[in-house]
Amino acid sequence: MAQEKAEFLKGTLDMLILKVVAAGPIHGYAISQRIQQISKDFFQVPQGSLYPALHRLEERGWVEADWKETATGREAKFYKLTRNGRKQLESEMEHWERLSDAVALILRTAE
Amino acid sequence: MRWLRRFKEKALWEKRLNSELQFHLEQQREAYVAAGLSEAEARRRAAIDFGGLEPAKEECREARWEYQVDVLARDFRFALRGLLKDRRFSCIAILALALGIGASTAIFSVVDNALFEPFAYKDSHHLVTVHLRDQDQAEEWRGLFLYDEFQEFGKQKQLFESAVANLEDDVVYSAGQNSVLLAGNYVTPGTFEFYGVAPYLGRSLEPADYQADAPPVFVMRYRTWVQKFGADPSLLGKPFNLNGVSRTLVGIEAPRFAWGGVDLWMPRGPAEPKIIRSFDGKQYWGVVARIRPGVSLEQAASQLNVIAQRFSKIYPKDYPTHFSMEVESFERAVLPPEFRRALYMFSAAVGLLLLIGCANVANLLLARATTREKEFALRAALGATRFRIVRQLLVESFLLAFAGAILGIFLGWAGVGTIAAVIPEFTIASETVIQMNSSVLLFALVAGVCTVFLFGLFPALKVSRCSLEESLRDTGKGLSGTSTGKGLRNAVVVAEVALSVTLLFTASLFVRSFIALERVPLGLQTDHILTARLPLPRERYKTGPQVQSFFRPLLERLKSSPGVVYAAETSTRPPYGGIRSEVEVSGKAHPEKWFGLFQLCSEDYLRLLRIRVLEGREFTEAEVNDARHVAVINQTLQRRYFGAQDPIGQKIRLDELKDFPDAVGDPWFEVIGVVGDARNRGLEEPIDPEIWIPYTVTGSAMRGILVRTTNDPMSMMKNVAREIWAVDHSVAMAEPNTLDYFLELFTFAQPRFGLWIVGIFAGVGLLLVTIGVYSVMAYNTARRTHEFGLRMAMGAASSSVLKMVLRDGLRLLAMGILAGMLCSLALARIITSQLWGVSPYDPLTIGAVAGLLLLIGLAACWMPARRATRVDPMAALRYE
Repeated sequence: MAQEKAEFLKGTLDMLILKVVAAGPIHGYAISQRIQQISKDFFQVPQGSLYPALHRLEERGWVEADWKETATGREAKFYKLTRNGRKQLESEMEHWERLSDAVALILRTAE
Repeated sequence: MRWLRRFKEKALWEKRLNSELQFHLEQQREAYVAAGLSEAEARRRAAIDFGGLEPAKEECREARWEYQVDVLARDFRFALRGLLKDRRFSCIAILALALGIGASTAIFSVVDNALFEPFAYKDSHHLVTVHLRDQDQAEEWRGLFLYDEFQEFGKQKQLFESAVANLEDDVVYSAGQNSVLLAGNYVTPGTFEFYGVAPYLGRSLEPADYQADAPPVFVMRYRTWVQKFGADPSLLGKPFNLNGVSRTLVGIEAPRFAWGGVDLWMPRGPAEPKIIRSFDGKQYWGVVARIRPGVSLEQAASQLNVIAQRFSKIYPKDYPTHFSMEVESFERAVLPPEFRRALYMFSAAVGLLLLIGCANVANLLLARATTREKEFALRAALGATRFRIVRQLLVESFLLAFAGAILGIFLGWAGVGTIAAVIPEFTIASETVIQMNSSVLLFALVAGVCTVFLFGLFPALKVSRCSLEESLRDTGKGLSGTSTGKGLRNAVVVAEVALSVTLLFTASLFVRSFIALERVPLGLQTDHILTARLPLPRERYKTGPQVQSFFRPLLERLKSSPGVVYAAETSTRPPYGGIRSEVEVSGKAHPEKWFGLFQLCSEDYLRLLRIRVLEGREFTEAEVNDARHVAVINQTLQRRYFGAQDPIGQKIRLDELKDFPDAVGDPWFEVIGVVGDARNRGLEEPIDPEIWIPYTVTGSAMRGILVRTTNDPMSMMKNVAREIWAVDHSVAMAEPNTLDYFLELFTFAQPRFGLWIVGIFAGVGLLLVTIGVYSVMAYNTARRTHEFGLRMAMGAASSSVLKMVLRDGLRLLAMGILAGMLCSLALARIITSQLWGVSPYDPLTIGAVAGLLLLIGLAACWMPARRATRVDPMAALRYE
């Protein structure tokens, strides 16, 4: 049961990351901050699990990374979305919307 | 090569991963510091927020594909270590697999090459040969036909699409002063189109070559061209002097074209018959036809019978009183039926062997899996996914299967080579090429490898099927395995033992039969004798005095050359002897026909072969030179036709001599001596009545020489050839070799071959059965480790546990041996024809085989049994 939950979160996390990265080159720390900010602390994303997800996405070619200087002059790894990544994001969002619509419909009719 | 670079950049990648994560922590820490926390507290909070650093890194690494390669390499190393640690298991499993694959591939390849695809000829399954059978004697009368008969057969278009014939003849190839004897075939028009094999070089014989005014040509066999003419392509288009005719070599036939097993083929034109050298006035042709699809062999035979009835009126001497025609498939005619049956038997047995090899491997893997069930349960409990365990097992199975397959391919290859090397000449068609059959090999490999993977994965299936706790608590603890599985395993052992008994029994019978054959007293001594046929040019050697004008000076020359003890003329090659003839004895009336074999020989013949004179005397030189009608007979003839009467001085008539081209008008001979019986129909057949007469009485019949030497006969070959050419340089030796060689070739080679095959087979079978018994017993005892521990804890002595295991093994062995004996007895009738001088129900052999198997089986049980007694009761019960 614990494993199934992790699977679900992983898929969701991937989508969230893609969505955040879509906004432009951004480093890992900023992504984690942004996700927390958007989700208004609803998702307690363990920061450690963000990086494997990022690496997975990079390995699949949905995001790509560059080492650049930050505003404070430090070297950091900046991620941005690839063309494939954008497509993936679109399809995942569509999928997600359909799913949530379906769930909402079921919940409404079940009342 | 991007992936290679990535692989090399692993260190850099690690560094970057590290700095990426450090950057994150740094940022977080700074954020906390900015929020007013102390430096130390900020660091602590940042670390807590992040979670485990190393697990995160590991997870990042797993995202990369290089990681999978690493894991696989680790799996390989781990599997290899495991297999090396359990060396006994690994070796036995690999050996069982390799033996199953190797033996089945080797023997199936031979069977397939020899039985199913022996010929490279077009549509060879529809080729048939024709024979004439003597119905009274129930044996073949002749398989060769007169040209008229052949032409009539060929006209039966409703039966045959086409027919061709060949006439075998000795061909003397004269090159300068020397002559070489080659075997030649005259072939009828359309022969090469009939067989449909493209030549290797040049062209085959074409329709124009058979015309009356066509220039004489011939084509050569590939093997002859390579062995006797050094594969010289410039010979093409050159004239050869063959039997005094200048013929042009126009082609070298394909390597697998060996029709008639001869060296060369010549067209039979209308003008050819005159120069053919066969000794009788008539020429007999071998006939091959292509039967029409849908026409049965029986139909064809019955129609040919009608034709034969007509010809029997024209050529009454060429037909027995009651006869029938027989049409036989070509493949069947060329391969002796006993050999064919033996091969079928072997191929069935070899399939079983493969099955047994696989069953053994399966049992071994199951035994190993049982003892490892806990290991896998523990791994699963520690978090190994099912996929991970399956992969681990797959790698292990792969290593086993790979080693077994490689060794199996090697064994198969070596086996095919060995069998091809020991197959005696004339057992299989000379067109047959024995080589490894790749599809058979593939089949065996797939069967073996599938077994390994299937049973190698067994523990993984178990792990996934039952829950972890159950596995950990209960593995291998049942009082016995699942009952159905156990029954099957035991059945396999019984079947293995039974098959092994049968194989060993057959092998032992072959050995005993062979020994019996070798012990047969020949009645003559074959050592140190050089022999050769000497086909004399027919046109110059027609009469007795003409033949004598060749042999008399030759024998004198040979006798006076150093190293020669005796030299004699002979008409056949002992221990096969003489020309069959009807025999009359003066003053004896008898209702049935009397037959005997007569030998045309010179005075030293009996002395040379060390045949003992029992009564009277041998011929003198003068008697031979004067062509006197005197005869020496053997004991069998004396006993059978003279009875108690003293044969010396009596007269005997050899009717066959009247029918020779150089006929003997009054073939009565006076008996001057009786000699001891010597084998004259080979070793296995009873001795026939035999008569020796001076060779000078007729000019007909094939002649040859026997030379007894002091040293190795083969070293004398050149000297003998020189003496022959000194007398007549157009005469060449045919098939010169030692008498021992021919004895080996025609008498011992085939049984020895059978011995080889059955011996290898029985050896492999025995090895596999040992492995089989061992693996099943090992599995059974491994499952019962807990039970044994309990028994010993309750006070059972280790000897009683030992006895218990051995008793179990013994029960299986006894059942197998019993079943094997029954199989052997059932098989006895089939192998009787292959045996000589030993009964297929020989009790001594059966007893010995049963004893041997029992011993080996018990030895195989011993190891697992010993292990069972060494079970530490505490260790076995600890997890209760």
